Amino acid sequence: MGFIWDGIKQAADLLVHGDHDILVVVGTTLRVALLSTLIALAIGLPLGLALGLGRFRGRRAGLALANAGMGLPPVVVGLVAALLLFRGAPLGGLNMLYTLNGVIAAQTLLALPIVAALTAAAVQSLPAGLLEQARAFGASRAQVAVLALREARVGVLAATIAAMGSALAEVGAVVLVGGNIENETQTLASAVLVRVSAGEYGRAIALGTILLGLILVLAAGLTLAQQHERRALLGRPS
Amino acid sequence: MSGGEPVLRASGVAVARAGVEVVRGVDLDLRPGEVVVVIGPNGAGKSTLLAALAGLLPVARGTIERSGRVAAALQAPALANRTARANVEAALQWWGVPRRARGDRALAALQAIGARGLADRPSRALSGGEARRVHLARALALQADALLLDEPFAGLDAPARAELLYDAASALRDERRAALVVVHDRAEAWALADRVVVLLDGAVAADGPAAEVFGVPPTPAVAEFVGFAGRLEEPGRLRLLRPQDVAIDDDGPLRARVTRLVPVEDGVRVELALDHGRLVALAAAPGPQPGAEVGVRLLGGVTFPR
Repeated sequence: MGFIWDGIKQAADLLVHGDHDILVVVGTTLRVALLSTLIALAIGLPLGLALGLGRFRGRRAGLALANAGMGLPPVVVGLVAALLLFRGAPLGGLNMLYTLNGVIAAQTLLALPIVAALTAAAVQSLPAGLLEQARAFGASRAQVAVLALREARVGVLAATIAAMGSALAEVGAVVLVGGNIENETQTLASAVLVRVSAGEYGRAIALGTILLGLILVLAAGLTLAQQHERRALLGRPS
Repeated sequence: MSGGEPVLRASGVAVARAGVEVVRGVDLDLRPGEVVVVIGPNGAGKSTLLAALAGLLPVARGTIERSGRVAAALQAPALANRTARANVEAALQWWGVPRRARGDRALAALQAIGARGLADRPSRALSGGEARRVHLARALALQADALLLDEPFAGLDAPARAELLYDAASALRDERRAALVVVHDRAEAWALADRVVVLLDGAVAADGPAAEVFGVPPTPAVAEFVGFAGRLEEPGRLRLLRPQDVAIDDDGPLRARVTRLVPVEDGVRVELALDHGRLVALAAAPGPQPGAEVGVRLLGGVTFPR
């Protein structure tokens, strides 16, 4: 147990003294998590709306795919992405292998089905007639979509929390696509992996503690927003 | 009462749901200034017809011509989780009303239906009757050329329903607007309608002023639906009678046996069996004994050749 305590103290030290390497890793981690979540939201919200509310051939197959996608093994996604990005491979021309953009793309791929599937579920559980009524009052498709996301916002925030969590914590895709290059493509999670392989358990625990703290802060912030919305929905003074 | 060219004209409209035609060949005109009430039993296709007239469902056959903008308030109030005022303003936004005009129009519409005091209440904090009021307010606020309302009083207790009914009856009067209201109660039809359309089994079975449709129904099926509960087989014809067309009178020319008594607000509802049919009458409480023989006098009714 001494190990863990030492690790936590070391984490505090590193943060308090503004250790340069640590700040770089934290910055990279945040950048990857925020950007991949944002891109996943930009694509996943419309996709989830279409899968949840649309009437088109293949909608149910798409929904099944999104649900299955939530369980995508990150290592496999990383492997496939890396193979596609190798020089000479179909996407090799993008020059994204071992770059931060490559890591962000892979993490977006992992977060996308989470956003799409959870958004679809959230808009499907809206009260019957809400959206049809908007159409009956002349709402355009875009206005109906905005209404659906707005009314399903507690569920949409849950999708955001889940996507952000996966983007923060993954290592498989980060290592395979990004190469786990220190000061470039290394995130907190993949740095832990390196330290453990090198036998530096104290440093590993320090990094892990910072990662946990980060997840906690982001999740707490989003949860507060979510519960604020929920209280507002229930009509109690907030 | 009404005039001008129809705002909405349905010709031979058929609508299918899940492959089954639930509306079959409906012809219907809506003119500015007129309030048309559609009434019919459950499953007659009233809501389906309304959704098709609003353009929310495709028609399988026939045509719907619209010469103005049509808005429909569906049966469930389905308010968004915002204040009453924000709900009305959202409807105005969907309708295309510029932002600066929305606030005043929303408040005016809430005022018109007696819901001004609810403006800042979140929809979750509204009772069923209040939610229906706000729902109606947002439909009125749009100032559509034709307004379609699907059972605007459904699910309300009697006092709330009566109150909203009378408020709606005056708020719906507008020379420039045509209104079509689906109801399932004759009292609602009486209070609202310039014209009553009876829908039976997906087709228009009667179309005319309330006094005509309810007083002199055109077919036995319509008569039975609008409350002609008595039925006598007379030579060469069928006679259908309302309770008020039947008097229990020991000097009456007909003899009948009492089969059942049901207490009602102003006395008892008496069901009678005759050799050539059955009748329903109203009597002062306590009324005759079940099984008793009574005399009956007929005061009216409608007849159909057989």
